[in-house]
Amino acid sequence: MPPLKDDTGTTTGAAPPGERRTVIQWRRTLGAQRRGTRGRRQHALLRVRDDIPAAWRIGLMAAGLATPILLWLLISSGSSGDLIVPSPAETWQGAMRLHDDGVLLGDFWASSRRILIGYTISMAIAIVLGLGMGTFRSVEAFLEPPTGFMRYIPATALVPLMLFWLGIDETPKITLIVLGSVFFNLLMVADVARAVPREIINASYTLGAGRLTVLRRVVLPHSLPGIIDVARINLAAAWSILVVAELLAAEEGLAFRIVRAQRFRQIDEMFAILIIFGIIGVVSDLALRALRRRAAPWARA
Amino acid sequence: MSLTIVRPEKLEIEGLVKTFPGSRRRPAVTAIDGIDLRVSAGELVCIVGASGCGKSTLLNVVGGLEPADAGRVEIDGEAVVGPGADRGMVFQGYSLFPWKTVAENIAFGLETARVPRAERRERVDELIAIMGLAAWADRIPRELSGGMRQRVAIARALAPRPDILLLDEPFGALDAQTKRVMRDFLLGVWRDIGTTILMVTHDVEEAVYLAGRVYVLTSHPGRVAAEVPVPLPADRGPAITRDPLFLDLRDHVQDILIDQVRV
Ligand SMILES: Nc1ncnc2c1ncn2[C@@H]1O[C@H](COP(=O)(O)OP(=O)(O)OP(=O)(O)O)[C@@H](O)[C@H]1O
Ligand SMILES: [Mg+2]
Repeated sequence: MPPLKDDTGTTTGAAPPGERRTVIQWRRTLGAQRRGTRGRRQHALLRVRDDIPAAWRIGLMAAGLATPILLWLLISSGSSGDLIVPSPAETWQGAMRLHDDGVLLGDFWASSRRILIGYTISMAIAIVLGLGMGTFRSVEAFLEPPTGFMRYIPATALVPLMLFWLGIDETPKITLIVLGSVFFNLLMVADVARAVPREIINASYTLGAGRLTVLRRVVLPHSLPGIIDVARINLAAAWSILVVAELLAAEEGLAFRIVRAQRFRQIDEMFAILIIFGIIGVVSDLALRALRRRAAPWARA
Repeated sequence: MSLTIVRPEKLEIEGLVKTFPGSRRRPAVTAIDGIDLRVSAGELVCIVGASGCGKSTLLNVVGGLEPADAGRVEIDGEAVVGPGADRGMVFQGYSLFPWKTVAENIAFGLETARVPRAERRERVDELIAIMGLAAWADRIPRELSGGMRQRVAIARALAPRPDILLLDEPFGALDAQTKRVMRDFLLGVWRDIGTTILMVTHDVEEAVYLAGRVYVLTSHPGRVAAEVPVPLPADRGPAITRDPLFLDLRDHVQDILIDQVRV
């Protein structure tokens, strides 16, 4: 007969005659528990990974957006002397002035174009080499040491060298964007490719697929959502390196405009550009998320 | 007594040994230590054995996914040196392409074989009908139940018309009811298509229900402990589970297996 438990949690049970039996005394050790209930109640807003009510979500997001703006208003209203913080209204006027001067769109386009070209090259290299690296141990063995090494050389440290070698036109800036992001992209795409389940690859082999077919028709589509995530995450790094390059040598571009504004002590314009950087980031992030949803609806984020 | 027909061997395994190399900290694991096994054309053979006795390893070697360390593995007298579409496999875990629909999953093996589009559609539709998946053809695996997923996996493996179908505990993750439905379903497919099947399971009743012969493996390392013929009629149904012969065979295989587990 199995031992029975009484209310206090003491194990009882008739031992068969002639058999000695240890009876284990055990007590409830559960701490915070009210009488008359079982388990611990969890607050609706603080459950690990659970969804929260939609109204709360929207409200919290609005509050998260409003708080820094309020702080900004507060600080700018109290700023004086050397530490000038332009108010949102002044920042808007700064942006309008840049626009009326006819430079804002040009700067936006110049910087975006560099990112677009440079980051596309970077992702193309990363996808080709990264998928190879994550799929074939031989490619991995060959590429892992140099990428691991190059990844730790800060791309910003290469700016003077690139300007020295390649001049001050578009080439060094695009090269820097590539150098500054390709090693991160490469290693992360390789990780994404490594995550393709072995059984799916084996299944493809037993369905007559060769290695190239597996790479193109199995590893690539399975990795697609992960690759888009990688692109999304490292895009910020590409912008950082572009800004450094533009600060040192450029005729146009958003970061170049910041240096100009500094020279003429137009802090409102500097602020306007910073906000524009933020907006570009949010928009490209949302765009890449939408692309992921469209391109790989099977993989919910 | 039924007439014994001498059929050509579809699969022949002799003296198969498979050892996974160890390292400084882990000793090497001999998963399979000398297995002899034959499957005739059109036969349905089951392998039962305790967990970890090398059943999946055996199928992977036959599938050409793992090299053997010693021994002979031949399909129609030809040595297995790598994977190919002539040996359809259904894996223990979940191995459908998650981004492809049911129809696209099934079509994969036909695309790699460059079957023309029209014929491809025809054969996929035919398999979808056989598998009872018509209503689900355009769904992706995430939207299917476990039983449906395994039916898709079986259909996908059958699509290139393999010489032999290798099934690794295809119903292992299903509940008891679905399992019963699926095994009748598999018997039906086997009778209709007339393919050769080698199936691994740890469910003794399932093995006796399905197979014409059952191989019982020793546990760790895997060897053949017994080869049990199942002289039950080929057109079996749920009623057979009450047949005394079925029950005897089941208990017999169960006893051999329990002797293996108790070491
Ligand atoms: N890649 C591997 N590397 C090292 N050891 C392995 C590897 N694959 C399997 N083994 C070992 O080989 C033995 C047999 O494994 P296998 O997966 O074939 O067992 P199985 O009979 O299929 O078990 P189950 O019924 O649980 O699926 C196990 O001891 C396992 O630890
Ligand atoms: Mg297994």
